[in-house]
Amino acid sequence: MELISLKSIYKIYNVGGEEVRALDGVDLSINNNEYLSIMGPSGSGKSTMMNMIGCLDSPSSGLYEFEGEKVHIMDDSQLASIRNRKIGFVFQTFNLLPKASALHNVEIPLVYANIKKEKRLEMASNALISVGLEDRMHHRPNELSGGQRQRVAIARALVNEPSIILADEPTGNLDSKSGHEIMKIFDELHRSGNTIILVTHEDDIAKYSNRIVRLLDGKVVSDEPVKK
Amino acid sequence: MFSLFFENLKISLIAVFANKIKSLLTALGIIIGVFSVTLMGTLISGLDRSFESSMSWLGKDILYVSRYEWFSDMEWWEVKNRPRMRSEYVNQIKNLSKYALAVSPVMQRGASLSFDDKETRTEIFGTNEEYMETISTDIQQGRFFSQSEDRNGSRVTVIGDGIKEAFFGFEEPIGKYIKIDNVKFRVIGVLEKQGKFLGLFSVDNQAILPLGAYKRIFSKRGWMRLSVKIPEDKIEEGLDEISGVMRQIRGLKPSQKNDFAINQTKAFESQYNKLKLAIGGTGYFITLLSLIVGGIGIMNIMFVTVKERTREIGVRKAIGATNGMILGQFLMEAVTICFFAGIAGLGFAYAVSLVINQFFPSTLPLALSVFSIFISMFVGVLSGFIPAYKASKLDPIDSLRYE
Ligand SMILES: Nc1ncnc2c1ncn2[C@@H]1O[C@H](COP(=O)(O)OP(=O)(O)OP(=O)(O)O)[C@@H](O)[C@H]1O
Ligand SMILES: [Mg+2]
Repeated sequence: MELISLKSIYKIYNVGGEEVRALDGVDLSINNNEYLSIMGPSGSGKSTMMNMIGCLDSPSSGLYEFEGEKVHIMDDSQLASIRNRKIGFVFQTFNLLPKASALHNVEIPLVYANIKKEKRLEMASNALISVGLEDRMHHRPNELSGGQRQRVAIARALVNEPSIILADEPTGNLDSKSGHEIMKIFDELHRSGNTIILVTHEDDIAKYSNRIVRLLDGKVVSDEPVKK
Repeated sequence: MFSLFFENLKISLIAVFANKIKSLLTALGIIIGVFSVTLMGTLISGLDRSFESSMSWLGKDILYVSRYEWFSDMEWWEVKNRPRMRSEYVNQIKNLSKYALAVSPVMQRGASLSFDDKETRTEIFGTNEEYMETISTDIQQGRFFSQSEDRNGSRVTVIGDGIKEAFFGFEEPIGKYIKIDNVKFRVIGVLEKQGKFLGLFSVDNQAILPLGAYKRIFSKRGWMRLSVKIPEDKIEEGLDEISGVMRQIRGLKPSQKNDFAINQTKAFESQYNKLKLAIGGTGYFITLLSLIVGGIGIMNIMFVTVKERTREIGVRKAIGATNGMILGQFLMEAVTICFFAGIAGLGFAYAVSLVINQFFPSTLPLALSVFSIFISMFVGVLSGFIPAYKASKLDPIDSLRYE
């Protein structure tokens, strides 16, 4: 089933009178339970495309449908709601709230979804258990290793049972050992039915996925399945 | 929406208490504002109370006829040549006036009282047998002196409760002899305890003597006033009539101004209201000023907070916070600071009110306290709104990228 459909998506910035085409006519279709990597040199538009798919950004022009809903015509609060219910973000720099415990960090999306306290704690604990952090729930981010922080971030991304998990260079700030541990978690999530998109520079990491989309100057230059 | 409310409250509490010094400094204006408005309320409540009880001693139905007005904007030279009051007026007023229910002359001076080895300095009053009708205090023990005791120059005295306690304690005072400036007087009565007049001086340390004895022993001439009791429902008429009677006694021509003054508790009231207005006005001015300063401080600190937490805002938006939720979060934070500032101000005011209470009875008015907390929260909403609105409108991607 088609989950995401991008049709001639443009994202154009105007920097000092000069036009920067961060996305330059992108067409892309992503189905349920796909595991896709986006690759390309720096500045090729990977993050811009991720933000677009994640409903954080809206295109300068083009059509974007998510589960059949037209995202390009949504207002701020509709976008917020779709991010909350359907999308889980994992960032390169983790982006956890420093003063909150791991459990509380994972709980926050559920607060915005207006879920009751007991249910929230149960769901957040389960998410942390599923990334192997059952004994770190009450630690703050600064009491956790980089790999553990990223696992908290993954737990936060999946706690709302989103339709898709987006990870922009999730291993970029990790050593290769913890990077591969993180990738194993994504593998498991994929196996249990999740749709995953990740941005990476590293071929090693991209090999975990099933399909690689390459960008150059805002254009898709190749889109191939991964040979395993 | 409840879970969001509590989440925001929690965030706010963490933010406020994580940096106590910063919060305290930020909130200083609000603290001072609430402090000054509630303290002013306390002060006024205390003044009201002591004023009311003091006024009830004076009595609304008593006219005080004397040489000078209590509160007057006349120049000294205009009044300094007015003739004295004389005790003969008492009978003249009684004969000429139909409203005067009681008329008593009062002379007053300082004197030294002693009993055994105890001695105290106090005020003594010389008056007639109708004096009790012109004050609101009663006799607690014994009796007042009679007309004949006054005429005879009997050396009897009615003492205040304070003198009784100082000299006799729990012993029987009636029939004992005390010395007033070394002249022996027999105690025949004790007045009820009254407290302090306007919270300033106690009126319980006094001794009242018959005017006859007073004049013979202490002075014939001297400062005198007349207290005239009139019917409570005929104050205006009584005032007019007594004024006419006094003019007649003094033999004034229609063209001549009064050469006497008729004072009423009303004079105190209008003076008191002026004072209250001054205290209230100053209080409100300080409050308004510190709330404005405080509000600007809060707004400033909220702008800093929003800037510092730009990335957090981006993250929250990425995981599903709407603009309204972000607005709510930062508004809540501003209101929380102001709420605690209000509580702190109230706390200080309460502490100070306990000290004030040592001097005259007063209470922190509950309604004003609650109101001041609401006002400070309102200041929080006002000053937090623009920063919170700015936070809510931040672009999620820019915020996430913010270093
Ligand atoms: N807010 C912006 N204003 C102007 N230009 C922008 C803005 N955001 C991105 N760009 C430009 O769009 C292009 C794509 O940026 P993007 O962040 O998507 O690259 P990327 O592929 O993620 O690069 P990297 O691998 O370094 O993260 C870049 O040329 C960048 O300069
Ligand atoms: Mg990028």
